[in-house]
Amino acid sequence: MADQASDLLRDYQALAQHSWDAWTRYLQQQSAPSYAAHAASTPHYGAGDDVLARSMAALKGYGEWLHGAIGSGLGQAPADWQQSLQSLFSNMGGQPFAHAFGSLDSDAARSFTQMWQSWMQANPSMAGGFKFDVEHMAAFGYTRERQLQQQALLAAMQDYLAQSNKYQALIQRANNEGFERLQAKLAELADAKRQVESLKGLYDLWVDAAEEAYAQIALSEEFRQAYGEMVNAQSRVRQLQQEQLEAMCAELGMPTRSEVMALGKRMHELRREVRANAATGGTDEIAALRAEVAALKRQLTGKPEQAKAAAKKAPARSSKREQEKEAVVRRAKPAAAVVARKSVVRGATRTRK
Amino acid sequence: MYSPLRLDPAALMGEIAAFQRKLSAGMGNLKHQREPEYANTPRELVYREDKLSLWHMKGQGKPTAKTPTLIVYALVNTVWMTDLQDDRSLVRNLLEQGEDIYLLDWGYPDGTDRWLTLDDYINGYLDRCVDAVRKHAGVDAINTLGICQGGTFSLCYAATHPEKVKNLITMVTPVDFQTPDNMLSNWSRAIDVDQFVDTMGNIPAELLNWVYLTLKPVRLNQQKYVSLVDILDNPKELQNFLRMERWIFDSPDQAGEAFREFIKEFYQQNKLIKGDVVIGGKPVDLGMITQPVLNIFAEQDHLVPPDASRALGRHVGTTDYTQLAFKGGHIGIYVSGRAQREVPPAIHQWLSTRN
Repeated sequence: MADQASDLLRDYQALAQHSWDAWTRYLQQQSAPSYAAHAASTPHYGAGDDVLARSMAALKGYGEWLHGAIGSGLGQAPADWQQSLQSLFSNMGGQPFAHAFGSLDSDAARSFTQMWQSWMQANPSMAGGFKFDVEHMAAFGYTRERQLQQQALLAAMQDYLAQSNKYQALIQRANNEGFERLQAKLAELADAKRQVESLKGLYDLWVDAAEEAYAQIALSEEFRQAYGEMVNAQSRVRQLQQEQLEAMCAELGMPTRSEVMALGKRMHELRREVRANAATGGTDEIAALRAEVAALKRQLTGKPEQAKAAAKKAPARSSKREQEKEAVVRRAKPAAAVVARKSVVRGATRTRK
Repeated sequence: MYSPLRLDPAALMGEIAAFQRKLSAGMGNLKHQREPEYANTPRELVYREDKLSLWHMKGQGKPTAKTPTLIVYALVNTVWMTDLQDDRSLVRNLLEQGEDIYLLDWGYPDGTDRWLTLDDYINGYLDRCVDAVRKHAGVDAINTLGICQGGTFSLCYAATHPEKVKNLITMVTPVDFQTPDNMLSNWSRAIDVDQFVDTMGNIPAELLNWVYLTLKPVRLNQQKYVSLVDILDNPKELQNFLRMERWIFDSPDQAGEAFREFIKEFYQQNKLIKGDVVIGGKPVDLGMITQPVLNIFAEQDHLVPPDASRALGRHVGTTDYTQLAFKGGHIGIYVSGRAQREVPPAIHQWLSTRN
């Protein structure tokens, strides 16, 4: 029993160490290449490299398909065309769809994959089918909270794997059904005494069949749930990783993501408030305040007649002293001044939220 | 049994060899291609705020139309699809017809735009752009031409600011977001969009591009590039291909808050046709749109299925409603040869009887 407990503790310590290492490696991997990839996607399009990379990946898949077609014996024994076709597609093992989904040059998808791989590398036991009883293990000791975080993350990762597998199973089903549709399309051609005369023709027919099969599955309720659950599970992993990263940043005295977000949110709220004030008569009030300030300035510089006339134009105020106060506040903090002035007009001292 | 395959082994080897020859000869051309330019129709900056720019597009002659038309594009991708290249430009074609065209480029949001809401976009940015066009052109009301999500925005805007919109044109615009053939809608419905946006912040364009590519994964990720081999030796066609690739992957991130609202209110709850959308405290009732409406959709649209657009006819309040079905897809409606011949003249003709 005691051995089990110490094993457990060692596991936890190793896990914590691996997690830190994973972050370090992940952040190192994230640097230049990922940023460059992002920059390439901005309006300033680079050379044809991006297209080249995409097209090469696609052509590689197509090239393998072509060679597979030759190897499958297609065309050598026309009577056995179904068997040759079966041989070609079973040898491919779902490759075309695997390519379509697996080799996308997506920065966002790649960053998650990188993050995922870093964590897997950091926790080799997980990669080999780590069986952590996360739901039933009590956290304890001075690192209890951190243990809970790790447990939650492990659970989220396991859930993501499960959801991702469900999604992949549907993709595989689409692939299988695509092949069945291809056979049906070829059978229709045979019935009509028509023939496919090139590999490209066969490939195009297969693409039609595969897309039809995929569309049918992708529009299903089952796919909707699988897709949603996979996205949600991935979001959960990201969320928990961000929480851990935030804690680490806080320990290092770095501003965190949530702090920056909060600042942005407040800035937008303030902008909306300023615009709303301007739209709902704030403009007139500010103009009136400007007139008052101008009048006071003129008064101070010895132009009482003009000042009197300007003051008349302004709406009735409580007292000159209060007006002076407001003018000063307004110069310092325009938004706050509007709040302060409204309070004075209402004869209240509380500030408006 | 009759075989549907007439694949002679020698011919197959010849086909593969020919493909490889074409590929190796053409890859050099691809690698040394210069950056493809958009049409870059002459334009004048009228208004700028944060990341957005409002452009007044300049034709060869003075516009004959009395009412200017503002093109409102989606937040996804860029408005330059409407001015892609010299001989494939909706903007240029409309200018040649005598229309007075303004164009709203939303720009590229960054982290500071994370909290922009639909209210900020529609009652804020869009409204100020409409005001800027009205002022610049010296008119009380303008025409809006909304594209895709920009069409949805234009509908919301016209319903809540009717006095500023004289005529409304929508192109490939989703109105009913839950038609059975809407794949994007199906995928979005079970997503916890709150958690998604809280985690992602702004939604990366690369992620959205990946989603769009997976709508037709084999066709868009493989077959398209296999077909590219056939045009590698044709510099003009290759430039056109690269220009389109540039546009497809020149895509801004999505401001997180606006994305959250759009997915939740429009895709997940389909509130627009229910009359339940409220933007900035203003209820959006399509029945309040009494201006003339021209609704153009693409019959082979895989992003906005035709039925999603056709629904407008059942919900809009106007008695002057025209619907135009285009034989093509979501992108082809702007850039195909047929589109150049059919779409701008149809828009001009419709507008000319209502301006």
